[in-house]
Amino acid sequence: MNARASMASEVRHSRFGMWRRQHAWCLRDSLRQLARRPLGTALTIAVMGLALALPLAFYLLLANVQHLAGALGDSQAISVFLKSGQGAEQAATLAQGLRGRPDVGSVAVRTPQQGLAELAAIQGFGDAIQSVPDNPLPFVLLVDPSPGTDRAQVESLVKDVRAMPQVDLVQDNGQWRARLDALVELGRRIAVLLAVLLGAAAVLVIGNTVRLDIRGRAEEIAVQRLIGASATFVRRPYLYEGALYGLAAGILAVGLVLALEAVLAAPVRDLVASYAGRLHFGGLSWGTLVATLGIALVLGWLGAWIASSRHLARTTA
Amino acid sequence: MIRFDSVSKRYPEGREALIDLTFVVEPGEMLFVTGHSGAGKTTLLKLIAAIERPNHGTIEVHGRNLARLRRRDIPRLRRDIGMVFQDHRLLMDRSVADNIALPLVIAGIPRDERARRVRGALEKVGLAGRGKDTPAALSAGEKQRVGIARAIAGRPSLIIADEPTGNLDPQLSEEIMQLFTALKATGSTIVIASHDLPLLKRMKQRVIVLDHGHLIDDVAAREVA
Repeated sequence: MNARASMASEVRHSRFGMWRRQHAWCLRDSLRQLARRPLGTALTIAVMGLALALPLAFYLLLANVQHLAGALGDSQAISVFLKSGQGAEQAATLAQGLRGRPDVGSVAVRTPQQGLAELAAIQGFGDAIQSVPDNPLPFVLLVDPSPGTDRAQVESLVKDVRAMPQVDLVQDNGQWRARLDALVELGRRIAVLLAVLLGAAAVLVIGNTVRLDIRGRAEEIAVQRLIGASATFVRRPYLYEGALYGLAAGILAVGLVLALEAVLAAPVRDLVASYAGRLHFGGLSWGTLVATLGIALVLGWLGAWIASSRHLARTTA
Repeated sequence: MIRFDSVSKRYPEGREALIDLTFVVEPGEMLFVTGHSGAGKTTLLKLIAAIERPNHGTIEVHGRNLARLRRRDIPRLRRDIGMVFQDHRLLMDRSVADNIALPLVIAGIPRDERARRVRGALEKVGLAGRGKDTPAALSAGEKQRVGIARAIAGRPSLIIADEPTGNLDPQLSEEIMQLFTALKATGSTIVIASHDLPLLKRMKQRVIVLDHGHLIDDVAAREVA
């Protein structure tokens, strides 16, 4: 390495060292300022933490509802209950007729015996079934629409089947699934809206806290500017302060949601057991929790940046 | 070196603070600026530190034309200037050492070097061992010494002081001035605004006299009686 390159490397190294030392000092200064008013700091963190915990808890609930919806499958199957007088032969004929339609993918026939066995398998129904002298269940056709069939075509199929004289009742499974999907989508949008509004509230809370801090340290800022501090240097401790508020509030929010999960775990486990394991209550992923901390940190930083920029814009160099 | 060439400063409310000022301060020189209250002494110091900008004329500090100085370069200029204020402007919630170290932190000086320079500055102003005290525990004279220590810690080649003895009794004023004289001996250029005429006479340094913004007299050190 020649002398010139060596000197350039030294300058870069020295600039980096200067930058690192300034950041270290600003971080220590921010921590010192936060530690000087423990109650105020704790209250600010609590307010922001609760504001972040609310959408996170809602998201947890929504994630589980989505999971539940997924577990129930996304088929648009139709259950066709035949009238009580209809036997195996009529059921087979009707199934054959339906298989000939282009909007029908498959048709399965479920006998009354199969239906009874399935019912008996569900926890709590075994004894009740034993007490019934005859099998009261009808033949049922499980009709799966052809792949790619849209909702309107399925509704048209349901209408046609309902009009058949052998049919007592048609249960359109896709209809309630569509309603559930619509509800989940509504919930998702409410969660996003809630997160945006409470995130904005968190920015305002941090912004106002930092603004008051800046106002209380106006003389210090003035002295710093007079003895050669750049606007970046002056702003830096407040940005750290905002980011630290945000990080602490994020940790609190994650802690609250983990506590919520822990509290709900036992009753949900009982509920899951009663549904023979078909339901599952899941917590938030580590990725989501880490992302929450990151978002909280950025919100705190943003609040501090807005407050410090407003102050610095009003003061001259 | 400081060069004022036909410098005028008018504040937005219309007050003419300085009118057509021309003078030069050589490196290593000690200059007193005097005049009655409102004569323009503080404005002159503010122009040197680029706290205010002139409406007319040219100011050069360390070879830099302040009119051409970009806003982002002002902090760098100020890091080359040690400033002493009449009311000290110390941070009361910080220790003496932290106050003195502040310009060094801003300049990104490493911690060990900072501690060394703070100790050196405290020794120079006669406050060795008082670094851990808070400014509240100091007398008015000691606070001013800390202000001077903060100004010299960054080893600036130029020190400006606005009425540094304004709140001090004659004996303390004398001690503070002795400190400035010692700093001049190390090669620093020093500009001090003061209206304490008896003190200026005893100091026997160059004095410029302002009156309603006009430079009405420029008395060489040897002519001060």
